[in-house]
Amino acid sequence: MKKRLSEMDYGEEGVVKEIDENLRSRLAGMGIRVGVKVRMATKQPINGPVVVTIDRYSISLGLGIADKIIVEVEG
Amino acid sequence: MGNPNVGKSAVFNRLTGAKVIESNYPGTTVDYTKGYMRLEGKEIEIIDVPGTFSLEPKDKAEEVAVKILRENKDSVIICVVDSTKLERGLYLAIEIIEEGYPVVIALNMWDIAKDKNIWIDVEKLENILGVPVVPTIAVSGEGIKELISKIKETSPVDIKKILERAGGKK
Repeated sequence: MKKRLSEMDYGEEGVVKEIDENLRSRLAGMGIRVGVKVRMATKQPINGPVVVTIDRYSISLGLGIADKIIVEVEG
Repeated sequence: MGNPNVGKSAVFNRLTGAKVIESNYPGTTVDYTKGYMRLEGKEIEIIDVPGTFSLEPKDKAEEVAVKILRENKDSVIICVVDSTKLERGLYLAIEIIEEGYPVVIALNMWDIAKDKNIWIDVEKLENILGVPVVPTIAVSGEGIKELISKIKETSPVDIKKILERAGGKK
């Protein structure tokens, strides 16, 4: 099932499928590319940032950015 | 240069004996700092810049880093990489190599990587990239001497050669 990265639940894992073109190079520097596996680590309340884990490191993303990343999750 | 919160200022302080503020938060350095060190009897200038993820700046601090890089075309770039976040560190390092700068890579926080059971084949990385790669622990000073000795040894590398050696497709 495809969903936005911002819609992932806590602890959920998924594979990045699409990234907004304008964000692609910027996110590549942070290790977020199409094909990488991400795991939702933390969601901050009140439209706060999300923290995802890639490999063994975490990265926080603003909700606006997380909205523009499409991931494929199981189930 | 390097990603935010990888220990660039810690390395800078080790190299120059300066006391730039370090903290365990990303974004501690928002402006650049100049310092000097002696290398084979000559005084050389070292610039500590804010962290950036890529050479396409997205905020003021990153802009400063990229601007300083572009203004110092004949510099040797010390790329500080967090050994526990190798991929994104190498992304920036390779961008800098691609622009034709001679680069030395410091695999910083080597001790933390070890604690996390992360093992990096330094020799293989050196062979693929064609630039010196030195494990360092900037807070204790380990590896800094070797890092200094490599500054003179590096030269620009053709990015196509790296691709060939890495076996990647263009």
